[in-house]
Amino acid sequence: MAVTAPARPRRGGRGPRALLLSTAGLLVALVFLAPYLIMVIGSFKPRPEILAVPPGYLPRQWRPDNYVTLWSTPETPLPLNLISTVVISVCATLLVLAVATPAAYYTARHRFPGRLVFLLLVLATQMLQPTVLAAGLFREFVVLGINDTWLAMILVNAAFNLSFAVWIMHSFFAAVPREIDEAAMLDGASRLQTLRRVTLPLVWPGIVTAVIFTFVACWNEFAASLVILTTDANQPLSVALTKFAGQYDSAWQYVFAISVVAIAPVVLLFALIERRLVAGLTAGSVK
Amino acid sequence: MAEVSYDTASRVFPSSPPVRAVDRLDLDVADGEFLVLVGPSGSGKSTALRMLAGLEDIDEGAVRIGGRDVSGVAPKDRDIAMVFQSYALYPHMSVAENMGFALKLKGVPRAEVRARVVEAARLLELEGYLDRKPKSLSGGQRQRVAMGRAIVREPSVFLMDEPLSNLDAKLRVETRAHIATLQRRLGTTTIYVTHDQVEAMTMGHRVAVLRDGLLQQCDTPRGLYGHPANAFVAGFIGSPGMNLKTVPLGPHGAEVDGLTVPVRREVHAPGLDRVTVGMRPESLRLTGAGEPGADLTVELVEELGADAYVYGTVTVDGAPERFVVRVDGRTPPAPGHRVRIALRDTDEVHVFDPVTGARLN
Repeated sequence: MAVTAPARPRRGGRGPRALLLSTAGLLVALVFLAPYLIMVIGSFKPRPEILAVPPGYLPRQWRPDNYVTLWSTPETPLPLNLISTVVISVCATLLVLAVATPAAYYTARHRFPGRLVFLLLVLATQMLQPTVLAAGLFREFVVLGINDTWLAMILVNAAFNLSFAVWIMHSFFAAVPREIDEAAMLDGASRLQTLRRVTLPLVWPGIVTAVIFTFVACWNEFAASLVILTTDANQPLSVALTKFAGQYDSAWQYVFAISVVAIAPVVLLFALIERRLVAGLTAGSVK
Repeated sequence: MAEVSYDTASRVFPSSPPVRAVDRLDLDVADGEFLVLVGPSGSGKSTALRMLAGLEDIDEGAVRIGGRDVSGVAPKDRDIAMVFQSYALYPHMSVAENMGFALKLKGVPRAEVRARVVEAARLLELEGYLDRKPKSLSGGQRQRVAMGRAIVREPSVFLMDEPLSNLDAKLRVETRAHIATLQRRLGTTTIYVTHDQVEAMTMGHRVAVLRDGLLQQCDTPRGLYGHPANAFVAGFIGSPGMNLKTVPLGPHGAEVDGLTVPVRREVHAPGLDRVTVGMRPESLRLTGAGEPGADLTVELVEELGADAYVYGTVTVDGAPERFVVRVDGRTPPAPGHRVRIALRDTDEVHVFDPVTGARLN
């Protein structure tokens, strides 16, 4: 009797099954990519074409100058909005990094009374949405006299993202064996030198993960900015965007173009460190 | 180089009730000596070592290195180097960077760091691996890098916390000899922690046995083996272990089945009707059926070539007690047989108090 070895399914192999899977994958990808395509294409259309019925797929008349004119529209001072977004996001991210790194290091390395309560409290802040707190924060900042300032939004963004950063970095620090710290200390390193030259390089993927998530969250933050930042010039892009969509009239070509400008840095950032980010997200879950 | 001393040093972990991990340890280690701390897990041997390293607090007493009280001194200022069980190499640094890290922190010129690292690498046969990262090294190589990291610093004391326990059996024996040779050549005071009594006996100039945080005995390997201070040390040192049995004390000595173990007069304290006797497997021999001795029912024979260990039971006080006897490897008895065993030499019997375990003879 002839014995035939069972055919081993090949990864990425040819055949009808692989073709079917690829087609299905492409279709799903298309569903998710379609809004972005519409956004990019729409940003190159003149306004009447966007509102035309039936709508066309590609612009009959390409208008790349949408990207030039949007910087000087009457609705909002867009260059200032961009600066606002960058300043708030960068400063909030740096603040989170400066506070979360030592907090995560300490909670991972030391047992102290109330450690669990502290960690749970940190987590609890994550459960409160900015929308819920916006009105309260507004009142608080009025009392402190920093309402409608970048500082206020830097603090708000840092506070909202701190818990995630502490938790993710905590697990990275906890994964570094304590003996490595001890070895460095015996080798003559001070606590700060140990952290800087030994521990930090080992938790680098965790730091990158925390930075990306924080930066993206700050960049996209909307609800609190809408309430707290009342001056046009102080508002970030996320709020400025709404100025173009009015009750009676909407400049859709600008809405699309600003959206492209707003997501470009985020997409770029993800693309640059996607590999490292994936490693960071899965680390700790499987040894 | 320096001598080390523990001066009634204790480490008390705060819990309820507080745990005395190391309890009033008094121990002097001479300059250039190789001292091994041995004991079962939880005996406090690693804690004692970490107290010396400065990684654990000293709650009572003091620890001195070269006569200087280092109790409150930071680890980095104690001039010691430690080899960890997990090696604790810096994963992001090359072998050369790992070994030179301490010197670099100290501000030693780059050329000298390089020279000392190369010298240590030559000593440890690591020259070809200096640019590799730890993850691309084998277990044995990692262990040597950890040793190298300690050696380059030329510290006054080496501390080693079970440095061989992650190696396979063959490599462990080789590295054991290598470390002992290296220590002799460098002449650096070394304190070595292990739970393996064979390692302790073969490497140490002296061996300190710990149990539940208390020092049981500190002596040369021969001294520990030949004259254990109590029943715990007697049972812990030696492989296979000593036959330790608590038996009735008769007018002529301790009675083990038909075998009477002579016990000196001074042991016969009033009220003492039982004693714990200890006989090493090699202190027992097989004898003829007509001679006085204990009847052993053979259960298992371990043949090692030159010798064989016979495991079996002897009825003592109506209950079966396990015994091990070392016999000539050429004519071992078969399992299931009954043989008679007697003492080789009555001087080789150890007698302990059945309650306190203290040595009586």
